[in-house]
Amino acid sequence: MPAPSAPRLDVSPLAGRTGFRAAGEVSLGTRGIWERALERAVREGEDVYHLELSALTFVDVAGAGALADAARGLGGRRRLVLDRPPDALPRILDLLWPGLPGIEVRTS
Amino acid sequence: MTATTESGQTAGPFVHPALFYADAREYVAGTVPFVRAALAAGEPVAVAVPGENLRLIEDELGADGAAVRFLDMREAGRNPGRIIPGVLRAFADAQPPGRRVHIIGEPVWAGRSPAEYPACAQHEALINAAFQGREVTILCPYDTARLDERALADAYATHPVVIPAGSGAERTSAAYDPDGVVSRYNEPLPPAPDAGPGLLRLSFDEDSLSAVRHLATDHGARLGLTGLALENLALITAELTTNSVVHGGGTGALTVWPEDGYVLCEVRDKGRLADPLAGRRPAARDQRGGRGLLLVNLVSDLVRTHTGPEGTTIRSYLRR
Repeated sequence: MPAPSAPRLDVSPLAGRTGFRAAGEVSLGTRGIWERALERAVREGEDVYHLELSALTFVDVAGAGALADAARGLGGRRRLVLDRPPDALPRILDLLWPGLPGIEVRTS
Repeated sequence: MTATTESGQTAGPFVHPALFYADAREYVAGTVPFVRAALAAGEPVAVAVPGENLRLIEDELGADGAAVRFLDMREAGRNPGRIIPGVLRAFADAQPPGRRVHIIGEPVWAGRSPAEYPACAQHEALINAAFQGREVTILCPYDTARLDERALADAYATHPVVIPAGSGAERTSAAYDPDGVVSRYNEPLPPAPDAGPGLLRLSFDEDSLSAVRHLATDHGARLGLTGLALENLALITAELTTNSVVHGGGTGALTVWPEDGYVLCEVRDKGRLADPLAGRRPAARDQRGGRGLLLVNLVSDLVRTHTGPEGTTIRSYLRR
């Protein structure tokens, strides 16, 4: 068995706009951190909430699902903007939650 | 509404005939009127068959084909486990309610490999459960000139009705036994190699999930996977190993190795997969979880499964 290695996910608030930056990976070991950060995003009530994800190395299906849940929880005109997510994340969302409203992906 | 067939079985609204054909003329005669009847009724119709047969139907329909959704099954249905969620239900569920949906689906062709075939037969059998109660007709052509006897015999077991070559008349299949086909092809998979430079074999638990995903992905890169395929290997490894930790007894064994033009990724655990449709249903939008196996089916080139009292093995193939 490979040596245990605790996956990391660091979440920090963005400066100058509403949202958070996530660095590390979203997998079973970090799912709780990711879900709590998304629950805060839904609670904060801003129309546009930025997720800066360029330092995210991996997101599993449950992590994408938490994002889909959060987007559904927004309702109305509000949306989550994913800034530079790992390529696989928008692909998973398209495959498993096609046509999901409330998420905008920015690749640059 | 239910109807009773001549054998006394109660048939629901789902209709699933096998159409036997021996040549292009019989193929066109069996499929094109099916498409034209749906179009005439103003009902949605899709054709998902191998490319050369797709062209036969397209050529015959001409401009009338504009309202038909055409898919090359060699691509869309390369992994038989992808066909129900990614092709059949993807089309049927997108149609307005209240109108019968018509699909021609040809998942079994002569070039299917020995590794693919059992998954094809299980897929054909599982269509019946997946569409039970739906106003859907799925017509499945079978090439009697080129398919082997086993594939043709299985078609009688996976389809409640069959249309013999050239006849046009449906008859009840006395051999219909979809559950029997699912369990017959739930067979132990040929073992992975014991040793070799291309082999990676690891056991894992919750604390090593992340490390195992990295090791599997690095190994996949050494075996020649790049880009999307490598990204898919990371996803497949994560979903299968996480399933073992959460649902399969907490631990498992991962093996990655090359075989022909593929990289194979296999996860074994002590759990039992009770639901044969797991990973083949498009998840309801508000459903939380349960999409890991669906993703594995959608992105793999082939998925084979063996489950029993001793545990479950899921093997994903990715083309190099």
